[in-house]
Amino acid sequence: MNKNQKYIAVIGIILIAIALFYWYSQGAEIFTKTQVLIDKTTELDRMLGVENKEYVDKFVFGLLPSGMSSIMEIISTASIAGVVVILSGIFIYLLRNKRKETK
Amino acid sequence: MKITLSIFAVIIIFTASIFAQGFKVKASGEQTFNFADNKNQATFFSTTPLEDITGLSNDVKGSVTFNVGDLKTLKGKVIVSVASIKTGIEMRDGHLQSAGWLNTESFPEISFEIKKVSDVKSAADNKLTAKVTGNYTMHGVTKEVTADATLTYLDESEQTKMRAPGDLLGVQAKFNVKLSDYDVNNKLVGQKVSEDIEVSVNIVGSNAK
Repeated sequence: MNKNQKYIAVIGIILIAIALFYWYSQGAEIFTKTQVLIDKTTELDRMLGVENKEYVDKFVFGLLPSGMSSIMEIISTASIAGVVVILSGIFIYLLRNKRKETK
Repeated sequence: MKITLSIFAVIIIFTASIFAQGFKVKASGEQTFNFADNKNQATFFSTTPLEDITGLSNDVKGSVTFNVGDLKTLKGKVIVSVASIKTGIEMRDGHLQSAGWLNTESFPEISFEIKKVSDVKSAADNKLTAKVTGNYTMHGVTKEVTADATLTYLDESEQTKMRAPGDLLGVQAKFNVKLSDYDVNNKLVGQKVSEDIEVSVNIVGSNAK
């Protein structure tokens, strides 16, 4: 592995580590969420002895994608790591040392 | 003889009033409460090895009728539309409603029909707890289940009118069902969902006509 290939490998590892760190800081959810359940119980609900919850639109970065129907569902640690690995592989291949032809 | 009969009648009435557990509110006699607004909800809680799943429906309809002074007279039915159940992940909602799972097309509703009420206990003048037994129908299969329920009665006031006109009845009930009892495959998007599902309802009905 030459110097440039090592740079690419290190950058790739750092990007994956940042994605993992960000995933952990967002609550370490297994699947990416585009909706989360929140408590909307009012004072009257409490008087009536009932709870009220609701799904609201909110993006939560997960470890795995939750679907393929929108870009937000695809964004996840695994998909970012996958893209980084593929791009790093392509660059490492392109930056390989070419063998000098012998006469 | 008349005195003996009178004493006997008083004892019967007194005993009946002790055992007839009901609400101590302004209303009396038979009342019917309709659950109609879109704030009513039913939740289906399950676990998988990877995460917990909460299915939530805001399309819960139905009605109950009972004598305010005796909750054991409670009769009624609550219906949940399967197509309205959301889990927070669109792809999972699709799987949940597919033929392999709850099969919305063939079985569009989940229902609970009350058969009997037992173990009525008073938590306050307007709050009772009870065990409500009924026929629970899901995926075309009907089984008898017993729910732990808490019922709260609120007389009409300026505050209750914000939700609906008339007196309000809040019902919170919980029970567990086994998916295999209802011929439901417990695999969902590659994850094995727990065999036991906790079903709970949080509904508010009004007796306004």
